[in-house]
Amino acid sequence: MTAYLEAKSLEVRFGGLLALRDCGFTVDQGRITCLVGPNGAGKTTIFNVITGFLKPDTGEVFFKGHSLAGLTPQAVVAAGIARTFQNLRLFVDLTALDNVLTALPSQSGEEPLAAIFRPLHVARAQRRRRDEAMAILEHVGLAARAHDFVRNLSYGEQKLLTVGRLLATGAELLLLDEPASGLSAGALEAIMALLRRLQAEGKTLLVVEHNTRVVQQIADDVLFLHQGHLMATGSPAAIINDPALAEIYFGGAI
Amino acid sequence: MDFLLSYIALAEIYVLLGLSTNLLVGIAGIFSVSQAAVFGVGAYVVAQSLITGTMGFVPAMAVASLVCITLNVLVTLPSLRVSGDYFVVTSFGIQLLATAVFVNWTAGTGGANGLPGIPPPDVFGYKLETNAQLAALTTVGAGLGCLAFWLIMRAPFGRLLRAIREDELAVAAAGKGVLRAKVSAAALAGAFAGSAGGLYATFLSFIDPVSFDLDASILLLTMVVVGGARTLAGSIVGPFLLLALPQMLTFIDIPTTIAAATRQLMYGVLLIAFMLFRPQGLAGEKL
Repeated sequence: MTAYLEAKSLEVRFGGLLALRDCGFTVDQGRITCLVGPNGAGKTTIFNVITGFLKPDTGEVFFKGHSLAGLTPQAVVAAGIARTFQNLRLFVDLTALDNVLTALPSQSGEEPLAAIFRPLHVARAQRRRRDEAMAILEHVGLAARAHDFVRNLSYGEQKLLTVGRLLATGAELLLLDEPASGLSAGALEAIMALLRRLQAEGKTLLVVEHNTRVVQQIADDVLFLHQGHLMATGSPAAIINDPALAEIYFGGAI
Repeated sequence: MDFLLSYIALAEIYVLLGLSTNLLVGIAGIFSVSQAAVFGVGAYVVAQSLITGTMGFVPAMAVASLVCITLNVLVTLPSLRVSGDYFVVTSFGIQLLATAVFVNWTAGTGGANGLPGIPPPDVFGYKLETNAQLAALTTVGAGLGCLAFWLIMRAPFGRLLRAIREDELAVAAAGKGVLRAKVSAAALAGAFAGSAGGLYATFLSFIDPVSFDLDASILLLTMVVVGGARTLAGSIVGPFLLLALPQMLTFIDIPTTIAAATRQLMYGVLLIAFMLFRPQGLAGEKL
């Protein structure tokens, strides 16, 4: 049986630094898998490799049995995998609605010739797209802020919007880079509830997360990464209660 | 009356150039200082076609647009490899290279003496000779340009370009082709600049390299900055205002020997003042 997502012996070098070394893991469909580990363990590097932003020096990632090697970020999204960024990277001068609209796939009127010569067709198609985008904003709880510029949204709202933009791509495997960091208690609850809802709707989630409480509450599986290598994998309780891992995570062992 | 008509016609030609520059610099974030070179190529192509009688005005405009689309895409390609400040230097070099060709390729461009005696444009059998007819032609040209620009900016393509200007990486992560969109923007900007060149050559019936040098490129940037980046209104206000200034100078009693220098000085001061105190221009957004 082929794994849903499988990374095989990844190695990534930045000059003298080995960011990933012989790193392999699998992610099961329909589950929330948390990627944990101390700073510099290589978590974001893994996201960059999966989504085509970074070419590994060796190794490959397979999605539903197909290799993702050599695919552009655009092609990876088309294959069904999309990501968020730790530093959000929203389009702050656009409205929340436009942020979501930008990420909706293959729209008519994305080509200048269609925009100029078939304006009515494009306008009609756009009305349908706006409904779709509004439904997504509704889903992440931002419908009321649809027409506000992103720069005017709170940090918690911006985080929800990154998930909205992610959903707009239509991807089935969602990679979230620290969705809960820097959030107030209320916003934290909102985002955790949203992630569980996405899982219930059939999405698969791979989440980088530092907050052990969040990991315990949402994760089905945990991958523990240390110095670019997968050190342990298991249930959240097993990983968090492992004294050796806790020592690495909190003690900063070399 | 004729004076006013020729001011309007000239300003309308510069509106097309303003749209071109706005699309490239303001919207796609490709900071080109060589738009006047593309403008010049369009002008020389149409001028030569009409002088030699190879083809009529309408096909010549189409050819000029195609040549300028190709040229602008080629000129912009380095911006996909070298970014920001480095591209400005590359673009600066392209402009200098173009000026050198315009001045020295005597057979094609008439060199520094320019190309005189460009025949008036003919549209579907009608020769447009009076100032009013020419102004009508430039009005149609600028009107079509504005319509196209407006349609683009309200379509998903416009939104995509705005998003790219803000964060290319995030656009790629959303599954969109950044390269393709940038090349399309450059192609459109080329078509606008090429058509403007053709209108300019036939309107003045004389062209020389001075109209297409670095100063002209900077004038185009000044128009976008003063008018306002990324908006249709900005692309219209900028050219009309900046071309009105030298006309006003003629009312003040200054010696003709320093008139050109005074004009350059005013443009320079305006550019700096707007960048410092009103970066969003009169009717636009911050560059």
